Amino acid sequence: MKYLNNAICKSALFTVFILFSSGLLITAQAADFPQAGNFSKGSKVWADNCNRCHNMRGPKELRDDQWISTAFHMRVRAGLTGQETRDLISFLQASNTKSVASGSAQITAVLSKGVTAKETYDKTCIACHGGDGKGAFPGTPDFTSSDGALSKSDSVLIDHITNGFQSEGSPMAMPPKGGNPNLSAADISAVLKYIRETFEK
Amino acid sequence: MNYSCHSFRRKLLVTAVSLVIPVTVNAESSNADLQQQLDALQNQVTALNSEVQQAAEWKNPNTLVHMAGYADVGFISTENANDSFVAGTFAPILHYQYRDAVMMEAELEFEVGEDGGTEVALEYMTIDWFMSDYAVLVAGKFLSPVGQFRQNLHPSWINKLASAPPGFGHDGAAPVSDLGFQLRGGFPLGNMRANYAVYASNGPEINSEAESDDATGVVGYELDGVAAEGFGADVDGEKTWGGRIGILPIASVEIGLSLATGMATVTNVEGNEQLFNDKIVGPLSGETARDYDVIGADFVWLTGNMSLRGEYVKTEVGEATTGVTASEAAEWTTWYTQAAYRLPNTKWEGVLRYTDYDSPHASVDQKQTAIGVNYLVSNNFMVKLTHELNDGLDGANSDIDRTLLQLAYGF
Repeated sequence: MKYLNNAICKSALFTVFILFSSGLLITAQAADFPQAGNFSKGSKVWADNCNRCHNMRGPKELRDDQWISTAFHMRVRAGLTGQETRDLISFLQASNTKSVASGSAQITAVLSKGVTAKETYDKTCIACHGGDGKGAFPGTPDFTSSDGALSKSDSVLIDHITNGFQSEGSPMAMPPKGGNPNLSAADISAVLKYIRETFEK
Repeated sequence: MNYSCHSFRRKLLVTAVSLVIPVTVNAESSNADLQQQLDALQNQVTALNSEVQQAAEWKNPNTLVHMAGYADVGFISTENANDSFVAGTFAPILHYQYRDAVMMEAELEFEVGEDGGTEVALEYMTIDWFMSDYAVLVAGKFLSPVGQFRQNLHPSWINKLASAPPGFGHDGAAPVSDLGFQLRGGFPLGNMRANYAVYASNGPEINSEAESDDATGVVGYELDGVAAEGFGADVDGEKTWGGRIGILPIASVEIGLSLATGMATVTNVEGNEQLFNDKIVGPLSGETARDYDVIGADFVWLTGNMSLRGEYVKTEVGEATTGVTASEAAEWTTWYTQAAYRLPNTKWEGVLRYTDYDSPHASVDQKQTAIGVNYLVSNNFMVKLTHELNDGLDGANSDIDRTLLQLAYGF
């Protein structure tokens, strides 16, 4: 048994060495670091994976560089792929800063041109608020509740979306514009209208 | 006339010169001031540019240094014993990362002992080589990938109760850590996702207990526990293999299966001072390597404000017919299931966990119902109040109820 066990061990190590040598397991390192990921997919990775083990950590808790190491640590822990890790970093790094009035309203309008309110919701809001509007994790406001978040006025909700807001009982604050700086004022009004039409009771 | 004309011209010239000279002097003076201000501004821009560049160096260097971790303190009230404040654990995790190629991870564990001394342990230390999008080589001392609790849920700011479920601690049914090479990662599986971990390691060592028969005086042995805590040397040369596969049919559900197999040898005997001077560490002469097998299964399901999870682990050690500590086979089994519910729009959370731990020794067998109420001050700092209803052998520690108050902070 001892011989068999050690023989298996050596064979496996040899196999892994061959795989390494042939490049089947190893991918060349990217020139850019950190590589850009997909913001929308990153928000989904964040919402789908983090609270499977622990309470959600808000994007504002760490700086950009701290999120990189944290995301790589979680890649090992949670079994994320490399692409999921890059997407996650892009989302967290874009969501941990305050909304900046850069005078780029024109650019924002171009970036968000042609995007429907539903697409905005699906790309920016759905990670936390869920496809059914009830919240993707504990503490997220329930849009379908008659005395919930949607009982507030449009002006209040637009202010919350634009500048970010911490709901009572929520484990984290919603970042300004849901973490998507490309949203224009028109996008925010449109997505609020979509949310009311879709989820409000 | 001619004289007066010349005189007039001379006066005019003198007057003009006298007017122009101050203006020229003033203009030269203004230009000099402007140039001075421009130079000062230029210097400020240059300095600012340098500071911005230095700030950018901090933002995206090729090497990143980062510290995370957790700490907890609390109070324990034990039935029929003195209550105590406890310092709990301080467990810093250090990350040293070079680009997306490699990361060194190390978790230290500091604890204050009952005698006031400080105990330090290296919980894990690995070099993680990010080889491709789907494979990470984790080499060194790592948390056991068998099941979920040890590798992902044991930190106090994550564990929703103030204590670990019986059988998931040291010398329990679930392996704690191991030392070797591990390959792990995640990959898409159609519309589902999956993650995996496979490893080869030094494996565990076994503790045996010596008991003398009062009537005959004959000394007998039985297996006492499996020490699966990442030994730095393989004293019997026998390697252990294992791993876990996790399937996520939907994002809110994960089902995992774990397996480990190898051989392990008794290296430690307790309980007979005459024969073994209380405790012997190291390989005993002539001991036979025994079969060592672990199977495990785990699940988690998140639905609304509720999280449900459970885990089962069974460790078997085979018999040995030769050697000083020759004895029968033994097995350790534990399972728990836990429900946690966060009250909507509040920071309050209720937790209920049931655990059943069986070992070869009736004195440590335990059925535990643990009830907890948590207040989440923030998402990484919680106050936990846990009450354990323990059912074990009458008179044994496993039968004593406890109440624990814990402040747990993840950073």
